[in-house]
Amino acid sequence: MPNLKDLKLRIDSVKSTRKITKAMQMVAAAKLRKAQEQAERGRPYAEKMRAIVSNLASSVKNTTLDNKYLGDGGDSKKFLLIIATAERGLCGGFNSSIVKLAKTRIAELTSQNKEIKILTIGKKGREQLNREFDSLFIGHVDLSNEKNITIETARKISIDLISRFDNGEYEVAEIFYNKFASVISQIPSSFKLLPVSFNEKEADTGNVSFNFEPDEDEILNEIIPKSIATSIFSVLQENAASEQGSRMAAMDNATRNAGEMIDKLTIDFNRSRQAAITNELIEIISGAEAL
Amino acid sequence: MINKFQLSVISAESKVFEGEVENVLVPGMVGDFLVLSDHAPCISSIRPGFLEFSDGTSKKQKYFVSGGIVEVTNNMVSVLVDLAIEGDKVGKEDILALISEIDNKLSAGDTVNIDDLGLRKNDLEEALKQA
Repeated sequence: MPNLKDLKLRIDSVKSTRKITKAMQMVAAAKLRKAQEQAERGRPYAEKMRAIVSNLASSVKNTTLDNKYLGDGGDSKKFLLIIATAERGLCGGFNSSIVKLAKTRIAELTSQNKEIKILTIGKKGREQLNREFDSLFIGHVDLSNEKNITIETARKISIDLISRFDNGEYEVAEIFYNKFASVISQIPSSFKLLPVSFNEKEADTGNVSFNFEPDEDEILNEIIPKSIATSIFSVLQENAASEQGSRMAAMDNATRNAGEMIDKLTIDFNRSRQAAITNELIEIISGAEAL
Repeated sequence: MINKFQLSVISAESKVFEGEVENVLVPGMVGDFLVLSDHAPCISSIRPGFLEFSDGTSKKQKYFVSGGIVEVTNNMVSVLVDLAIEGDKVGKEDILALISEIDNKLSAGDTVNIDDLGLRKNDLEEALKQA
């Protein structure tokens, strides 16, 4: 049985750990609210952008226009996987669930003999992938200096992606992130960023024929980089909200576990204290009897 | 009585304006154009300049926009902008900042979009005179 002093020390240390996790939980809750509000504000733009792109794609569909950014990328050989994770750890399974999904996809593509390149956003995902796939890395985006995600960041990433696409470095880009379903549930997801494919559901105006100014091709060249920036922006926002949600849940768990541990240790402590007292009494009584 | 239609001006980070208006003047890529109700559906890109609209009662509202895209569909006008500043709040320094951004790109040797950037710069200088 450990002595009283050791137990006391352990209880104190678990107590201070609990204080830290409790504080982290509260900070995450505050940040989560902010991230959610921000995502909420950005939603109308993203939705409208998707609708316009779909309207455009649907009116271009039946013409001879062949824009390089449109297509379904069916028989492409070169894939770029963009893996968006967090800059910090201690957020439960947030980072590993994205990495796990990405690894499954990498294995799938490798078995089909596709050429894979990886672009990472956020330090944690890169660290996890580094050991196995560092030869596939072509770039990294550091978000550690971004307190709030701005559209500027997303724009920079999109410009980089477009220029790599124009240079023929890849034919299909897919992005991996955590979708924010609720505070306690984040779903690792992925979607195809480039080329942009036509989505019947999102075209909201049916079969209206549009006038284009200047013309379809130029508008597409103008709007697709913007729509990609918007997609990346919403991915980063969802990711930020998911990260905080995940951290909040993880820290809530940790706080609860620390509480349980303290209870258990306190019982141990009291028991050993009582044992020590009983021991002393026995010694005194048997000493008195001996006389 | 002039018919009204829905106008929404949305930037990536927030909704700038939403409401019913009588007309809106859009700085289109190939020239300014005025949208009234029952305008034919169209999609156009926007150059940097001033977006003006009025709801018939209060005075004209004016926003500086730095570029974007406009979609007109059956009496719904959606303007997606990169940056929008209310007309009386826009200072010369805002526009100058955008101009110097383009200058930086030009001096960094961005030759692919050289015509484009030149045009943008002209538009911005034009807007500067109006501000």
